[in-house]
Amino acid sequence: MIYVTDGTFEGILTAVFEAYRNKEEPEGIMTGDWFQTSLDFNVRTIGTCQEKADRVYKAIIEKMSQEVLETIYKAWLSEYHDIGTAIYRYVRIGLKLGRNVISFIQNPDVRLINDLSMKVSKEAHLFTGILRFNKLKNGIYYARMEPDNNIVMLIADHFAERLSDQPWIIHDAKRNFSALFDTRQVVYTTDDIMIPADYKNDSEFEILWKKYFKAISIESRKNPRLQRSFMPVRYWRNLTEMQR
Amino acid sequence: MRLLDKLQILADSAKYDVSCSSSGSNRANKKGQLGNAAIAGICHSWSDDGRCISLLKVLFSNCCIYDCKYCVNRISNDIRRASFTPDELCALTIEFYRRNYIEGLFLSSAVIKSPDYTMELMIETLRKLRYEHKFNGYIHIKSIPGADLSLVYQAGLLADRMSVNIELPSIQGLKLLAPQKDHQSIIRPMSYLKEQIQGSSELTIYKKRQMFVPAGQTTQLIVGATKDSDLTILNLTQNLYDRYKLKRVYYSAYVPVNADSNLPAITTSPPLLREHRIYQADWLLRFYGFRAEELLDESHSNFDIRVDPKCDWALRNLDKFPVEINKAPPEMLMRVPGIGYKMAEKIVRARRIAPLSYEDLKRMRVVLKRARYFITCQGKYYGGIDIDTEDLYPVLSEEKPPKGIPGQIFMFGSTG
Repeated sequence: MIYVTDGTFEGILTAVFEAYRNKEEPEGIMTGDWFQTSLDFNVRTIGTCQEKADRVYKAIIEKMSQEVLETIYKAWLSEYHDIGTAIYRYVRIGLKLGRNVISFIQNPDVRLINDLSMKVSKEAHLFTGILRFNKLKNGIYYARMEPDNNIVMLIADHFAERLSDQPWIIHDAKRNFSALFDTRQVVYTTDDIMIPADYKNDSEFEILWKKYFKAISIESRKNPRLQRSFMPVRYWRNLTEMQR
Repeated sequence: MRLLDKLQILADSAKYDVSCSSSGSNRANKKGQLGNAAIAGICHSWSDDGRCISLLKVLFSNCCIYDCKYCVNRISNDIRRASFTPDELCALTIEFYRRNYIEGLFLSSAVIKSPDYTMELMIETLRKLRYEHKFNGYIHIKSIPGADLSLVYQAGLLADRMSVNIELPSIQGLKLLAPQKDHQSIIRPMSYLKEQIQGSSELTIYKKRQMFVPAGQTTQLIVGATKDSDLTILNLTQNLYDRYKLKRVYYSAYVPVNADSNLPAITTSPPLLREHRIYQADWLLRFYGFRAEELLDESHSNFDIRVDPKCDWALRNLDKFPVEINKAPPEMLMRVPGIGYKMAEKIVRARRIAPLSYEDLKRMRVVLKRARYFITCQGKYYGGIDIDTEDLYPVLSEEKPPKGIPGQIFMFGSTG
């Protein structure tokens, strides 16, 4: 049996709920668009239900822990192709082991979710550092990013606290998903963001920053491989100091 | 002079300073103000040499009255000189911070006119940042040796971290190479900072805490400019951690910039691998429960360049091995070559759920290249050769030095 969901976090948790209620052990929990091609299994489409998702959500916190829930949620943000199945397997082990599931890293199902979660956390932490804001003419600070994982929601609070006296936009251009901050609260949107094409035009401080970036490096220790290992090339396009 | 030129000169003069860490402080944002500190620290970029850029690291000025032999900014060198004004530095810090280029400011300086005069200018900069610009981001300030302690105190109320450079591992070395700085002018502010930091945390019991260098103090010293042994350096380090409660000691392999009969020849290459070994030993002191005297003694006063210090220790203490991965206490697991303290913790937690096999360790990505000679799994030994120094040393020693030593870097003298 294969369950098919809409791929949202709530959709996957709903499917987990249904598996237990139906006393079924589905081979997989897939998302609709991914599943189209293979028709060899029995398939059940699961409609997302907030109430059922909430029950699983609470069960994870109560029977396992808040930390386990956060680990699963972050793993989901990785957009791994078979994340539904992975979460289902993890929860099954979690219902046996309780809060210790997270430490059971001998087990490949546990390791998969832990690793995905770690990958997402690492990228989110990296972006608290390498996100770059450009000051627009209207005074709003605009940051464009193209992360591997869906991390806007993981980093928005950090910037709401830190840059609390300036309005800003964090825009994930890959997913067209944005966090908007008006100095009071953060709002998320999938609406298109209208940004002037010349937003990258160098202001005085962008030029100063590039100059600093060059001056601080020690020529005789040049090590581009090491630099790229910390700051992969795919991120450079949105990094002020890496623009010519 | 244009700000762009000043920034170029004063970043260039500061780049040999080792520390760029922004960790250890939890200064909070206040509503409507700018910035906060992240306890774990954040890297914002990596320069072409692969070093992390976290703070705007500049000198206030490189116009120095001193003539320290190892330093690029000494008065007798013919280089371009510049000084910021406090307002220029504030503008740079704030505007960089608002664009998320940096975590904050790391301010050091050459000695202009006198230590007190220099320190006053640096304090004025910090005061403007904190009070005029309402800046709550991270600030690391270097204390200028010889400055009055009341100025050290004022700086400490404004900064997150302070450091006094110890410069050289021994008093003799200091006399020889930095005759204008005396030992006391380094130790006095260091011990003063320690007392003030302790005092401020005791005060919290009675009233709201007045923050005084919440991220603690650090220092740095040059390795290889003098003839001091690793033992001298490590004993000094242990002493600094024990007695002065330092958060970090940074080391920098000496790079010759000046020719002098008291210094290594100008053609000498920096002892980077030696620096790396000392850093490894430093980690063993801070995170692994080792004491300096376990790692080195009079009969063994320098690290073996071909094996890391933990491996070196294990080879001299083979009677303590092998340890059973499913039973050994965490403090012993951490002492197994190849098993770090984080991995030790993971092993301890995982083995509570189910006993670990050798295959499990592989899957958990334990690096077994060296560890396998020092452990058993469920009673079985997978090393293949007898535990015996003569056989083990060749398989554990490194033919080539480790590639790219990330994060750490030499400096050839910082001013101040």
